[in-house]
Amino acid sequence: MSKMTDSAIPAFLKAQKPLAGNYLRLSVGLGLLSGLLLIAQAWSFASIINAVIFDDAKLGDVTLYLAALLAIFLLRAALNWASEQAAVTAAMRVKRDLRQRLHQRLFDAGPLLLNNERSGELVNTLVDGVDALENYYARYLPVMSLVALVPLSILVFIFPIDWISGLILLVTAPLIPFFMIMIGKGTERLNKKQWRKLARMSAHFLDMIQGLTTLKLFNASRREADVIARISDDYRRSTMSVLRVAFLSSLLLEFLSTVSIAMVAVLVGFRLMYGELDFFYGFFALLLAPEFYLPLRNMGTHYHARLEAIGAAEKMVEILEPGTLQLEDGVDPLVKVQASVSDGGQSELSAAQSPTRYTPEAIVTARSIGIAFDQVSFDYEPGRTALKNISLDIKPNEQIAIVGSSGAGKSTLMNLLLGFITPQTGEIQINQTPLETQQLDFWRKQIAWMPQKAHLFHGSIRDNICLGQDDASQHAMEAAAEAAQIADYIESLPDAYDTHVGERGAGLSGGQIQRIALARAFLKDAPVMLLDEPTAHLDDESERMIRQSLKRLVENRTVISIAHRLNTVEQADRIVLLDAGEIVAIGKHDELLATQPLYKEMVSRFREGAI
Amino acid sequence: MNTVMSNWQVIKRLLVLMRPWYGWMLLGTLLSLITILANISLMALSGWFIATMAMAGISGASVNYFTPAAGIRAFAIARTASRYGERLVTHEATFRLLATLRTWFYEHLEPLAPAILQNYRSGDLLSRIRADIDALENFYLRILAPLLVAAITSLVILLFLLQYSVLLALIELVFLMIAGIMVPLLINKLAHHASTRQVETTSELRSAVIDSTQGMSELLIYGAAEKQAERVNALSDQLLDDQKHLAKLNGGSASALGLCANLSMWLMLIVTIPMVTTGKLAPANLPMIALFALASFEAILPLPLAFQTLPGTLAAARRLFDIVDTKPAIIEPVTPTAMPEQFDIEIDNVSLRYPNSHTNALNAISLNIPQGTHLAIVGPSGSGKSTLINALLRFWPVESGEIKLGDINIDQFSGEELRLQFAVATQQSTLFNSTIKRNLLLAKRDASDEELEQVCKLAQIHEFIETLPEGYETWIGEAGHKLSGGQIRRLGVARALLKPASVLILDEPGEGLDSVTEQKMIQAIVDSAKGRTLILITHHLVGLENMDQIVRLEQGHIVKR
Repeated sequence: MSKMTDSAIPAFLKAQKPLAGNYLRLSVGLGLLSGLLLIAQAWSFASIINAVIFDDAKLGDVTLYLAALLAIFLLRAALNWASEQAAVTAAMRVKRDLRQRLHQRLFDAGPLLLNNERSGELVNTLVDGVDALENYYARYLPVMSLVALVPLSILVFIFPIDWISGLILLVTAPLIPFFMIMIGKGTERLNKKQWRKLARMSAHFLDMIQGLTTLKLFNASRREADVIARISDDYRRSTMSVLRVAFLSSLLLEFLSTVSIAMVAVLVGFRLMYGELDFFYGFFALLLAPEFYLPLRNMGTHYHARLEAIGAAEKMVEILEPGTLQLEDGVDPLVKVQASVSDGGQSELSAAQSPTRYTPEAIVTARSIGIAFDQVSFDYEPGRTALKNISLDIKPNEQIAIVGSSGAGKSTLMNLLLGFITPQTGEIQINQTPLETQQLDFWRKQIAWMPQKAHLFHGSIRDNICLGQDDASQHAMEAAAEAAQIADYIESLPDAYDTHVGERGAGLSGGQIQRIALARAFLKDAPVMLLDEPTAHLDDESERMIRQSLKRLVENRTVISIAHRLNTVEQADRIVLLDAGEIVAIGKHDELLATQPLYKEMVSRFREGAI
Repeated sequence: MNTVMSNWQVIKRLLVLMRPWYGWMLLGTLLSLITILANISLMALSGWFIATMAMAGISGASVNYFTPAAGIRAFAIARTASRYGERLVTHEATFRLLATLRTWFYEHLEPLAPAILQNYRSGDLLSRIRADIDALENFYLRILAPLLVAAITSLVILLFLLQYSVLLALIELVFLMIAGIMVPLLINKLAHHASTRQVETTSELRSAVIDSTQGMSELLIYGAAEKQAERVNALSDQLLDDQKHLAKLNGGSASALGLCANLSMWLMLIVTIPMVTTGKLAPANLPMIALFALASFEAILPLPLAFQTLPGTLAAARRLFDIVDTKPAIIEPVTPTAMPEQFDIEIDNVSLRYPNSHTNALNAISLNIPQGTHLAIVGPSGSGKSTLINALLRFWPVESGEIKLGDINIDQFSGEELRLQFAVATQQSTLFNSTIKRNLLLAKRDASDEELEQVCKLAQIHEFIETLPEGYETWIGEAGHKLSGGQIRRLGVARALLKPASVLILDEPGEGLDSVTEQKMIQAIVDSAKGRTLILITHHLVGLENMDQIVRLEQGHIVKR
């Protein structure tokens, strides 16, 4: 599935490290300091025990050491805590920046890339995916730095005083990462496969719950309980066979560190008996042996943080790397889909070619706007033409209806007008000025748009009507709601305009959602109105109300509307008949009815049904 | 509805659910216990051993060094082996439990569909169900086993120390309590506010990002994209602040635990040094007790996490029990009547009201649909069309009146037998993550390829399927090819057409089609359904001229025939 090489994602994760500033280094520094104090701690501890057992020291004789020991304990607790704080701060900084960039990138790519299924995935990446990186930056990276530093410092102290113990530690230590990586490499792949299996199993379970009614309709629901049991069991079996290998690495880690400690203890013991070593040094070595292995163990514990981060980052790399986010149809958005003027890079080129053209104000000299398509073509991919050589001159305040069967190119035409895509050849002119990327923001200020299913945002009805116009007055907003025939309903709600709108307008009917969106369009009061069959999914009553309001909205504006159903096209000044990406005919309703068999068939079909 | 279960009740029910796997769980706990005790013994024995050997070296006395040296090695190997075994066994137990839980939950959920589950329609809740079951995995692995191990180990530790001095055991007890129970509880209390808010902010952030993706067109056109970015960033910042606060507390808890271990060892030194001086304690026991004290805190290392996970796990369990305890809306007859020979449908004065609703969804509806009739039901959305279907399929109980099939009240049939007579494609019909073919075969397991093509042609979807590289074997759904809403609907229609049932019910089969194609489709379906009862639900009046009966529903009433 993934096109990326295995090293691309870890490289991406490492490349984000500078975002953390100096906090990662601070964390490692504090951790190292605590590690050094650990040696002093062992020294004091060994001194106390040595003095009491062999020098017959009483409690009063070792108070200095005891006090030092207590101070070190407290200091180390504080250092460890501070080191952890620094690491967490580092992770938060990375997460903050990444989330911001991902969000920006979505807007740069534009709405056509975001169909529903994909949007769920993107939301998960932005919210949970970014959170899943925390342990990588807050734990894994600091541990990886300390894993060499602390054991090395311990060795520096142990070697001069007890070279045999030092040797045991020195020989076993590199074996741990070596074997872990050896086993890890193999299990990483298996692990990934298991995770995918787990995801598939969870997805299957969810799929069945969501489709429970359907399963029941086909009397298949009880059968599925066995399927669930079987799949879970298969999963257990295959996961356990992976884990048996994966846990070998921890077995090895445990074996090497525990057995080494045992060896240090036994060897020290015998040399003590033969008088080859002082108790103080032997005990000192024994105290440090477990601490020597601690960072290595931590590395094992936090190793899965790396795997988790790699899993989460895969999607991010896809979103952030240029050219990897693709239109369903295979169009690279960075080349052909334009959504925002903030995308400075490549627009400079066209600006340089025609420096005189960059005058947004040139688009609008009057409140009336004419739009011209000049030989416009658009392909979603080579060989799949959506629009071919479209030339169309729309006069200011003209009302244009675009008709055609499914797939004729109506939506592509609308997306071109909205600036979600740009023509591959030809150009669109607004009041004789070519529409270019730099002018998109300005152009969008001139248009209002009604889609088939308008989106309502989390927030109050007021927020939704005043979208993009925060400074609108109460009066203007109420007037817009009035015009959209939704004011009465809103005012009947206990919180009126402050009523909170839930997920996808939960609690509101389709007709009410569309009317709120209509109020939004009224409030914007733009000279160009783009309509994409805003009543397609509504019942007759809602449709009638919206049609009524629209009649007022389209007055003295340039209007381009897509019509899937033909009950509304008759009042258009001109009707554009599209077929297979080309304009077949342009004319008034009666003209087309007389000359175009395709149009006639569509109308008669519709009429038959509409009676 | 449900009285709130106490935490103990929830835990008790969870324990009952786990009963089949008690053996595995006990074994896992036992191995975990051995792992920890072996390590404590290793450290303590090592301390004692080198002190004894050093003293022997100085005094020249002979000691039995064979037993302790072998003991040290044995403990080291025991720890290694039991750690490996523990991880295998606890994971085995968890996966077995998981399988049990999923089936258990599904079996309780199945009778609730669709009547009760309508209240839980949002996909959000469905994924929560998944997360809730995943959370229950933790109950054994993160909570139950560590608590048991900590309790038993602490007991062993205290008994060991008691034989030297009550004071030592007391010091150990106090610090174990502080580090293992008091600090985690205190941290949880301090974290409560931030962690609640964290959950809320996460869901707000999720909604905001959903708004960004699904409402992007509107945001761009209405010039609100920048403000939306600010909103998302502000929520993200707030979430990060809370997460940082929580991390700070958790870091504090880890440091406190280490400090407790050290302090208890330190206090023990203060107590034991005079004991050595006065000869009450053998000198070699001094390093042994000190190292023992340090190592003993490994037992309570996982407790902060256990306390942290407990409330969330119990809440997850409670939500699942809530659903599992819900009574199905329909009670199946004890001795179902056999299916009749003919399938005239008679709806007599039927009213139906959904809970939490002030108005009847169906209001004294009477309708006769003799076998083979083609009936169209039209009306605006919310007029009761879908409710009528729910009542016919006995997905919802009627409040008054009765529905008869072949002159017998449908309450007397078994649900499965009854639904065998109906082939339904509604707006709620879903396709599964599988191939097109397998989705269709749900309706008739032994259908031939020709039959599949035939129904797909009728549903105007065959041509589209043929354009796909893998045709009928194309994988659809989240993991495969994405279909448009209209295509999903038409595949649902094809699937319903495939089912050999006597009554065919289609809800808006032409949604997403232009009027020309829609007309063609409905005509083809009507023609093919000769002799079968057909109920067509629509809010457009396309293609209804050949229907035997047209009924208009409005607000639960039949207003026109």
